[in-house]
Amino acid sequence: MRAFTIIFWKELRSFFLSPLAYVVMALFTMLSGFLFVNMVKAMTANVNPQSLVFNLFSSGWFWMGFFILFPLITMRLFAEERKMGTLEGLFTAPVRTSEVVLAKFASTVVAYLVLILPMFLFFPIFKSLTGETAAFNDGALWGSFLGLLLVGILNIAIGVFASSLTQNQLIAAMLTFVGVMLHYMFGYLHHMSALPQSEFTAGLTYFSTVEHMQTLSDGLIDTRPMIYYLSFSAMLLALTHHVLEYRKWQA
Amino acid sequence: MIHVTNLTKRYAGRTAVDEISFDVGRGEIVGFLGPNGAGKSTTLRMLTCYLSATEGRASVAGFDIFKDSIKVRKRVGYMPENVPLYLDMRVKEYLQFRARLKGMGYRESRAATDEAMDTCGLTDVQRKMINTLSKGYRQRVGLADALVNKPDLLVLDEPTNGLDPNQIRQVRDLIRQLGERHTILISTHILHEVEMTCGRVIILDKGQIKASDTPQNLVRRLRALGTVSVQVKGSPEAAMKEIEAMTGVRSVKHTITRQDWARIEIETEANTEICEEIFQIAVAKKWKLRELVQKTASLEDAFVNLTINKKEKKSDD
Ligand SMILES: Nc1ncnc2c1ncn2[C@@H]1O[C@H](COP(=O)(O)OP(=O)(O)O)[C@@H](O)[C@H]1O
Ligand SMILES: [Mg+2]
Repeated sequence: MRAFTIIFWKELRSFFLSPLAYVVMALFTMLSGFLFVNMVKAMTANVNPQSLVFNLFSSGWFWMGFFILFPLITMRLFAEERKMGTLEGLFTAPVRTSEVVLAKFASTVVAYLVLILPMFLFFPIFKSLTGETAAFNDGALWGSFLGLLLVGILNIAIGVFASSLTQNQLIAAMLTFVGVMLHYMFGYLHHMSALPQSEFTAGLTYFSTVEHMQTLSDGLIDTRPMIYYLSFSAMLLALTHHVLEYRKWQA
Repeated sequence: MIHVTNLTKRYAGRTAVDEISFDVGRGEIVGFLGPNGAGKSTTLRMLTCYLSATEGRASVAGFDIFKDSIKVRKRVGYMPENVPLYLDMRVKEYLQFRARLKGMGYRESRAATDEAMDTCGLTDVQRKMINTLSKGYRQRVGLADALVNKPDLLVLDEPTNGLDPNQIRQVRDLIRQLGERHTILISTHILHEVEMTCGRVIILDKGQIKASDTPQNLVRRLRALGTVSVQVKGSPEAAMKEIEAMTGVRSVKHTITRQDWARIEIETEANTEICEEIFQIAVAKKWKLRELVQKTASLEDAFVNLTINKKEKKSDD
């Protein structure tokens, strides 16, 4: 626990001292701001039964931003330490591998929340500027926040795992990109009309990030997807732990 | 302090460390000497719990490196080869981070950091970013890192690698100074280094221990051949004949003649003293003598003898 806290703060600090953090934050805020404006315009032009929150987080464009965000914030975690050799100093200090993995993971989750914070501020700002109350309700906002947290946790776990596999940050980033994208695509499988409707296709909705977000951004909280995201992430972190321990045996 | 039995490490089929056994007592400074690829780093990495051994066992400060890895790591200060550091941190901040990671409390870590910076001459650069430091200073940061939590044992992998002669001397002095308070295991492929800093040398080659002794003993014990050099005036033939007849002489050869002075190089058996005898003959025969030197074999000779020759012999047969 001691080592966890120390590494957690060190990681967070070095993340926010790097220019990358601000570039990513700016890009992501710009992309979502652009979408936000377009969404508001579209909703003004046509009657739309869904809320602003729902529409924003259903947009494929929004999720595209994620394919870039997660590789960028996770690629250096272990790959850089391997490349620089600092992994040797880290693992010859009296720290448990699990503490290192969890600390790096947790600090990235916190960094992620800070990065998406400006986007979340759009909603209250919009409300206070326009006085519009019908666009969305608070439940939808909190629900979608929970959704983004869960999705973020899973995608960061994918990135942590990818970064532990290689000493090349570019490869780590590409693996994460593919992982995040595949998971997102997988969520569309049950929409494919070629597939016969069955229990199997119904089961596929478990993987459907978009569907989960839509439920949550309606303000409905379902615990099943929550358990799915958390257990899948835990499994990826356990795999990361395994990879780092295995390193000792072959190197 | 260190107790190693039959430690072995194999990488994908090739054996990097081959059943080595040795002990290091408390307070000793032991040098691990061997050519590149001998398995020095691999051994140190196993002792510091960075790599697991394929076979064999080892204990450090009474704790098994495999079963009590955390306890071992608490008691060892390790400076890896090439001194990896977090380049985006400032010197003081980095050392404090490391001290805390090694289990020190906040206040304790501050005091320990100041002390380590003082020992290693880093106080002036404590606010600098590590990536702006020269190689020599980075090496000192690595040393300060290794000793910041006052470990029982310091393990230093090639601590003077890549430094200029001045920096090498500084780091060496520092190590010698640290030896007064710590047990040190240091690896190097530079002979001078162990001769100057270590009380004992373990020579490693191809993953095996070839010798383990004090540098002086090693030289004495392993000196296969002694060399004596003599310069006589005029024709060397007569003198060469006389010398060849002495006991313990293996070969005599005339190397150069410069302004009438002929130099004769004599190889003798190990630990044979012939200078006195040559001198007496020279007096008796009235040779004009200008030089009479017993060349002592250096650790370098011993090292070359143990590593290079063995290789050649092996490839011969
Ligand atoms: N990670 C590794 N994977 C495979 N072989 C390695 C690895 N590290 C070292 N070796 C091999 O093991 C041998 C010993 O290496 P090392 O311990 O680094 O030697 P030294 O430090 O004495 O120069 C070398 O032949 C080297 O090629
Ligand atoms: Mg080495």
